[in-house]
Amino acid sequence: MIDFLSKKLDWLNVEYWFYVLNDLSLVYIILPFFILELIRYAYQKRLTKDLILDSVANIITFGAFFIIEIILGILAITKVYFWIYDNFSLPHLELNWATIITCILLADLAYYWEHRMMHRIGIGWATHTVHHSSPHFNMSVAYRFGPLDAILPIVFSLPIVMLGFDPILVLLSEVFVQVFQTLLHTEIIGKFTRPVEYIFNTPSHHRVHHGSNRQYWDKNYAGILIIWDRMFGTFEPEIEKVKYGISEPLNSNNPIKVFFHGLTRLYNKIRKTKGFKNKLLVFIKPPDWEGT
Amino acid sequence: MKSSTLLFKSLAIIIFIAGTAHLVNYLSLTSKSSESNLYWKEHASNSPTSEIENSEVVPSSIETEQDEFINYETDYIIGKWKVTYSSKDFDGVIVYDVKKESKAFHAYTYEYQDRNGNIEKAKKTKVLIIQKFDGYKGEGIYVISYEGKQYDVKCNIDMIDENTFKLSYEYYGYSDVETWKKI
Repeated sequence: MIDFLSKKLDWLNVEYWFYVLNDLSLVYIILPFFILELIRYAYQKRLTKDLILDSVANIITFGAFFIIEIILGILAITKVYFWIYDNFSLPHLELNWATIITCILLADLAYYWEHRMMHRIGIGWATHTVHHSSPHFNMSVAYRFGPLDAILPIVFSLPIVMLGFDPILVLLSEVFVQVFQTLLHTEIIGKFTRPVEYIFNTPSHHRVHHGSNRQYWDKNYAGILIIWDRMFGTFEPEIEKVKYGISEPLNSNNPIKVFFHGLTRLYNKIRKTKGFKNKLLVFIKPPDWEGT
Repeated sequence: MKSSTLLFKSLAIIIFIAGTAHLVNYLSLTSKSSESNLYWKEHASNSPTSEIENSEVVPSSIETEQDEFINYETDYIIGKWKVTYSSKDFDGVIVYDVKKESKAFHAYTYEYQDRNGNIEKAKKTKVLIIQKFDGYKGEGIYVISYEGKQYDVKCNIDMIDENTFKLSYEYYGYSDVETWKKI
């Protein structure tokens, strides 16, 4: 077992497999699945103009997010990550199965915490609310991102680099977690068998996460493993039919409005909040916090 | 759940997962180190020019055989390479000469250059054997000196471009990356 886990792997092979799992998944699973969802919507007579415009807005927000992500990603990887890796890291880990598996587990845990922060601090929710503002739930919603959605993942993954994991491997693992998450945005799949539902994040668990029903707020933050939610007290099973969206609906498919509505709402809240200290606290307090 | 409970739970999980990774790597390095020592013992008995373990100087009269077969994908590594060091033991540049011998690449010390530009010819000492090299990445044995002792450690080579490669190694928790630049 140790021999297998510690067997040194070739970077070219590892990058290739992550390319197949991360990049190519769009072609061989996400797009076909989305087409299947559209067919299902049509069959159920739910393929409305609103749903199509919502999906288009989702893709456009992804384009805007992607540009920001690329700039931040290049800066983070080439500068910050490697600087931390070279100066403030535990002994560098070899590239083997143990390193890859543990790196994905840590990236998944980091995802849980950054996702939870996105929901529980004002500035986080200002950007992440974009993802939750769709009243629909399909693969295209997975691509609905806010303008600052790339920042917290970078902050939360830095400790993994400090633990001796190669920055490129950390980045690939983060993308892997994100791709896994993408596949959960569907209504087609009901529930899996109990052991799978117990350990892994599933479409059912993630539907709950997107629910605007009161009992579903701030639940099921997980990326790949739902056990993080079970361990940290944020798990909620899917029982009541999920109503998707946010408590204050956006009611717009204008991509610009969709992309910036969270920041606009944050700005309005800061303006209305009295006192300089309270205005600053709006950034870090939970989104439902009202300045005293 | 209390914030302190969340914090300690998270830290415990991180320590467990990262600790597992480091433990497996440590066990792997330990076993590789044993293999490496074995390799050198075998190699030393087979070849008169490979006494790196004792850091013996290779007499200049013993010229190494250059393979006649040319592999254009890998042989561009042959030639002079310089590495800049900045430590209390040595502050300057060491030039190495990489040669192809018996289908492997061997690097020998060639000359020393200090910060003031003074150049001194080095005794020809074998410091590196690249056992595997595909033109992009390679593996080998590198000799590192520490407190007057020589240690042969497994190292990795990653070509950045045809004129630069990174040589990285780790030995019982000590790790370093050197940048080799072609002259």
